[in-house]
Amino acid sequence: MNREEFLKKLSEGLNKLPDKEKKDIIYDYEEHFDIALQEGKNQEEVSVSLGDPNVIAREFSVSYIINRAEENRSTGNIFRAVFATVSLGFFNLIFVLGPFIGLIGVLIGLFAASAALTISGVLLLVAILLYPILPWFVSVPHIMISQPIGGVFLSIGIFSLGLLFLIGVSYLAIGTYKITIKYLKFNIRIITDRRVKNEH
Amino acid sequence: MNIQFKKGILELCVLSILDVRDCYGYELVNEISKNIAISEGTIYPLLRRLKEDGLFTTYLQESQEGPPRKYYKLTEEGKSMKRELLDEWNSFVEGVNHILKGDEIDE
Repeated sequence: MNREEFLKKLSEGLNKLPDKEKKDIIYDYEEHFDIALQEGKNQEEVSVSLGDPNVIAREFSVSYIINRAEENRSTGNIFRAVFATVSLGFFNLIFVLGPFIGLIGVLIGLFAASAALTISGVLLLVAILLYPILPWFVSVPHIMISQPIGGVFLSIGIFSLGLLFLIGVSYLAIGTYKITIKYLKFNIRIITDRRVKNEH
Repeated sequence: MNIQFKKGILELCVLSILDVRDCYGYELVNEISKNIAISEGTIYPLLRRLKEDGLFTTYLQESQEGPPRKYYKLTEEGKSMKRELLDEWNSFVEGVNHILKGDEIDE
């Protein structure tokens, strides 16, 4: 591979990055080639010792995607970051995707439970208000019908508890997001070093 | 030993070189690949990551032969990170040497 081919492949691999960053990265490799050539090395030699441009491009891309997920929090961005990291190798399939899916499952479960609690508070209130008009339509424990005021307070209590849980779960989700980013960053560093070691 | 240390090796090398003097990319890569067998191209992603973490800054400087070169300069944060990684490295090497000499192995 000569200078031009190497830079072209690298540039193609960096397609996901904004132009400015891409130029910045390409600049470093251009500089590297230029100085090496000045020192009398040939183009082939330089591109061989640089390594596979596709692998290099992937490493930059994954870093970029993780940083973007850190700056702009969104479900799409975090999923992209996780999948990009997974694409680095089989190791990550187990140590990144596995725990991530587990965490998402727990969050969905907690969210559903809080939502159910909130809704049941509302429904209880509706049931108590509806009972005098449509008694055959409503099935709630007798004690709540005979003590309607207590029942209303109970429904408000359940509703508020549900809301509190919802707020708690959203904080938990944000925390999970941050930890996931940290873990991904930590992970790409280990993977980089693993590959370095293998080439010994 | 600990994982923290493993991921620090290359970082430590980069930070140590830059602690002596500012370097441009090629110089830095050369310095490392002279001593350790790695794909030279993968050092640049590492440099970019460390720069994003605020461990060093870059500036352009004219050279006699051709276009200006991008130099890397350690920040205070980079210097303290270097000290930290160096301490970890030293205590690791010390531990390994103890074992290799057989001082602390029960018979």
